[in-house]
Amino acid sequence: MDAYRLADAQVVLPRLRAGDPAAQEALFRAFEAPVYNLARRICRTTEDAEDVLQETFLEVFRSIGQFRGDGSLWGWVRTVASSKALMRLRRNKYRVTDELNDEIGPTRGEDTALRMDLEAALERLPETSRAVVWLHDVEGYTHEEIASMMDRTVSFSKSQLARAHARLRRWLGEEVSV
Amino acid sequence: MTHLSVEQLLATREPGLEPGVKALRDHLQECPVCQAERDRLAQRVARLKALPALRPGRDHFGAIRLQAARERRARGLRRIAIGTVALAAAVTLAVALGKQMAPAERTLVNPELAEIMGRSRQLERALAGFDQDRAVINGRAVGITSSLEDRLARLDRQIEVVDLMNAEGRQQAMIKLWRERVGLLDALVDVHLTGARYVGF
Repeated sequence: MDAYRLADAQVVLPRLRAGDPAAQEALFRAFEAPVYNLARRICRTTEDAEDVLQETFLEVFRSIGQFRGDGSLWGWVRTVASSKALMRLRRNKYRVTDELNDEIGPTRGEDTALRMDLEAALERLPETSRAVVWLHDVEGYTHEEIASMMDRTVSFSKSQLARAHARLRRWLGEEVSV
Repeated sequence: MTHLSVEQLLATREPGLEPGVKALRDHLQECPVCQAERDRLAQRVARLKALPALRPGRDHFGAIRLQAARERRARGLRRIAIGTVALAAAVTLAVALGKQMAPAERTLVNPELAEIMGRSRQLERALAGFDQDRAVINGRAVGITSSLEDRLARLDRQIEVVDLMNAEGRQQAMIKLWRERVGLLDALVDVHLTGARYVGF
């Protein structure tokens, strides 16, 4: 997916490498929304997502010299944003509680068919699962790529995705009796 | 009859053919229950992709631009510092070897220049303190700060160029540029102090 293509990227790139503020702003305006959306879908709070947004663009401006242009600029920016968002998850202390919850299985509330909308259900997922769902199903990363970004195994990524879908299915009231 | 689990259904959606997946796909072709489940999964993914894009509550570019300019300036300063140390080492070596040096090189560590550079370092530290506090400044102050940061970036490039020159008058040019730099840094500190006070009261 390269829906967020920066117009005349080849013209902007040399100016970005020279630290031109106008080029930096053009890049920011082109990718601000998708970067924030990705960060917000992965992080728990808007504050975290805003920090990820800032960290992403600072990293992009710092490292633009390393972008060789063999892939899409958005693809590269998105990878930086994903890494920053996952790094934020690792840093946050509530991750520990989150993973513990993940291990103890569904709560009483989950067993009853409580219908909620997709937005609320996604928000309710444990952070790691939500990150995997978003990166795999929406951003289109493979399990290999997700495993590499999360520093985990491919089977970890696959099992997180399966768990997340099982929960979403239940919470969205999609279960049917067979 | 056993139907496919969510994990197995997901496996059938992955590209390629891992061991065991062919059997799962064969089952899927025959089983209407699993086909319905697969369709629900596909719909769920489509709905995830169609969720509305979330947007930040405010514009972050001003803060990012300032930080990027500061980092760029710090990198430029490091390059100047390294260049100065290297040149000083070369001068020391040349003097030790008894070689005749150009007057400009011999007077590299001019006390006046050293003092101005020291003042510049002090102001940089003060500014770094403001950065750490992440003091909120008003919109007008952001505009002034951006303009000052841009001028500083241009000035640092000039300093880098002059620093590489070996011409007579280099020392005076450096003193002039570093004075100008201290002036800009002073102005930046003022903006932060005024901005912080504006927010605080």
